[in-house]
Amino acid sequence: MMNYFPDEVLEHVFDFVTSHRDRNAVSLVCKLWYRVERFSRQRVFIGNCYAISPERLIARFPGVKALTLKGKPHFADFNLVPQDWGGYVQPWIEALARSRIGLEELRLKRMVVSDESLDVLSRSFTNFKSLVLVSCEGFTTDGLAAIAANCRFLRELDLQENEIEEKKNHWLGCFPDSCTSLVSLNFACLKEINLAALERLVARNPNLKSLKLNRAVPIEALQRILMRAPQLVDLGTGSFVLDRDSDDSETYRKLKATIQKCRSIRNLSGFLEVAPRCLPAVYPICLNLTYLNLSYAAGIHGSELIKLIRFCGKLQRLWILDCIGDKGLEVVASTCKDLQELRVFPSDPFGAGHAAVTETGLVAISSGCPKLNSLLYFCQQMTNAALIAVAKNCTNFIRFRLCILDPAKPDPVTMQPLDEGFGAIVQSSKRIRRLSLSGLLTDRVFLYIGMYAEQLEMLSIAFAGDSDKGMLYVLNGCKKLRKLEIRDSPFGDMALLRDVGKYETMRSLWMSSCDVTLGGCKTLAKKMPRLNVEIINENDQMEFAHEDSQKVEKMYLYRTLVGPRKDAPEFVWTLV
Amino acid sequence: MLLLGTLLMGITSEQHSSASSIDSSSDPCAAAATSSSSFCASIQSNNSVRFDLSTDLRLGLSISSSYYNDLFPTPTTTTRVQPLSWPPIRSILCSAHLDKALDHKQASLFIKIYMEGIPIGRKLNLFAQDGYDSLITTVARMFPTTILCPGADRVHSDKYHVLTYEDKEGDWMMVGDVPWEMFLNNVKRLKITRADRC
Repeated sequence: MMNYFPDEVLEHVFDFVTSHRDRNAVSLVCKLWYRVERFSRQRVFIGNCYAISPERLIARFPGVKALTLKGKPHFADFNLVPQDWGGYVQPWIEALARSRIGLEELRLKRMVVSDESLDVLSRSFTNFKSLVLVSCEGFTTDGLAAIAANCRFLRELDLQENEIEEKKNHWLGCFPDSCTSLVSLNFACLKEINLAALERLVARNPNLKSLKLNRAVPIEALQRILMRAPQLVDLGTGSFVLDRDSDDSETYRKLKATIQKCRSIRNLSGFLEVAPRCLPAVYPICLNLTYLNLSYAAGIHGSELIKLIRFCGKLQRLWILDCIGDKGLEVVASTCKDLQELRVFPSDPFGAGHAAVTETGLVAISSGCPKLNSLLYFCQQMTNAALIAVAKNCTNFIRFRLCILDPAKPDPVTMQPLDEGFGAIVQSSKRIRRLSLSGLLTDRVFLYIGMYAEQLEMLSIAFAGDSDKGMLYVLNGCKKLRKLEIRDSPFGDMALLRDVGKYETMRSLWMSSCDVTLGGCKTLAKKMPRLNVEIINENDQMEFAHEDSQKVEKMYLYRTLVGPRKDAPEFVWTLV
Repeated sequence: MLLLGTLLMGITSEQHSSASSIDSSSDPCAAAATSSSSFCASIQSNNSVRFDLSTDLRLGLSISSSYYNDLFPTPTTTTRVQPLSWPPIRSILCSAHLDKALDHKQASLFIKIYMEGIPIGRKLNLFAQDGYDSLITTVARMFPTTILCPGADRVHSDKYHVLTYEDKEGDWMMVGDVPWEMFLNNVKRLKITRADRC
């Protein structure tokens, strides 16, 4: 029936289909739908920049306006991927610039971006509106200056946790006076900023909804900025300390009064430097907060955190440091009944091991916050009993990431592995999509995961398992698995090679310090030409023996339609 | 300054034991083994699994004597100091907290250092060192002896010394086992002990 509709009607219907997966599914129905879908597609997501080439992207989706690209594998966040591994955005920007693509939005994660790329980007797309860079590196504030100066209709510049070399230029001053279209600006990851330029910029951009400052913005400047922008919805404070020299009480009073007028703020973050006595200034807006991020606020004591949290009854997402303690988490549990996402970060990641938060805090949260669906929890210890209780209280986990700081630590009460605890989680949260394991774990936990985690898409494994069987349970059982990353676990060639076709159904597999050998990887690469099997070997003082029986230190494999990449550095060997 | 080679932490165990059940003792060498095992992986039953954090933690340690040129030929390329990969937390978040933890607002961390047999000690600014490398060089300049590096074959002799430190919990540990930042966070004072005591 749909075949008798003109293309425009199909297109109109497809306009309502917005998620990437749904659009991908639509394109597979028949050749007609494929054609209509591809011409009307505006938003494209590429989870691995090496899976496809920019030329093929442009050929298939000539109407693309918004592109997301991801580069390095996730474990690069933890220094497991050497510098210069890859993930360069330059070829993409060059290809898009050469074509007649009207790019408006670009979102990059874990990619290497150069000043030249940013310059070309800023000059090539007249309607460019939004640049979001997450965990990227390779550029300086010169690149930002180009974006500021040349993108006349820029709405969003969002820099999240990038490594940016800061030059003496005042890039913020490069926004012309005619720039009045900004909606979102985030430069929290920078160390410096030109305050005067910032205040002028905020003053002439009345549509600014999201502003995240860096630690170079003192509290006095924050107050002035908030006076100009009471319409903010999303605020990241910079430095939140009162300068000892200034008249403290006057500044504090003004700040409190100004903040009180910012009735629209729903998301609060920053506090990169914070003096506890200034915190009460934000109490008035706490009532309306749905997202609070205090993960950088190392200066705040548990008791002050607790006082603050008591005002935040509507919180849905909370990111906090473990100095809140188990007691503090109990307060969260009794105050934040709508809590959906909790992240507890370690304030002393390398410390000797005093327990800041334990299983007690987590159980309290699960008991008080049944809507909890996303968890990232760093703790000193965990018990099976606690995990089983959490599983009973919260059955809606989509993301469950537990990091017990001491690798392979068992349940301290029973000295047992944590298999049963994690098993309970996957059994009760049927929609779980992402899971990170830690603590002492045997093959049994993987048996449970394979059996119950039917929707699992991403699994992170460290120091776990006994044998190849563990990995096999996961590969066989988790039909929707897309990303598997494993470190320091005894999985070898037998597991790797059992079902080679599986990897074409996944985005990528990372294995480091496991038992896979060079020979095993070679066999896999030979059997599967549409996988890139990369061996990363940084041991420059040791000869890489090239013996098939040698264990491979780091292997990263991913499906691709474009063969081995041509920009691989010396220490990356792509097997064919 | 010669870069010696790599410091490898390897733990092998035949039985199912847990890191947390091992008690620290006051003996620096046993304590060193347990402290590193409490941070490194533990072991599983049945198979002996060797957890080698050499991928994660490689510290080039300098030496001050030509004795070691014979034992350990200088590698042709320098050993890079690998940044940490555990716990799985982003470096940016990490360093933000470490700065607070170590309070780099203070420019110096002076600690006392004694050598066995010499009653008068010295003081040493740890913040002025940028790693174990430079620490051992500085110490070797201050005291009339040869400092052995941990990881090297133990030479049981009264001619050589090892560098140990007292941590926050009052235990004496071998210098060099834990990441530099963690060491700075935990060290109270240093002692140069005879190698044959370990």
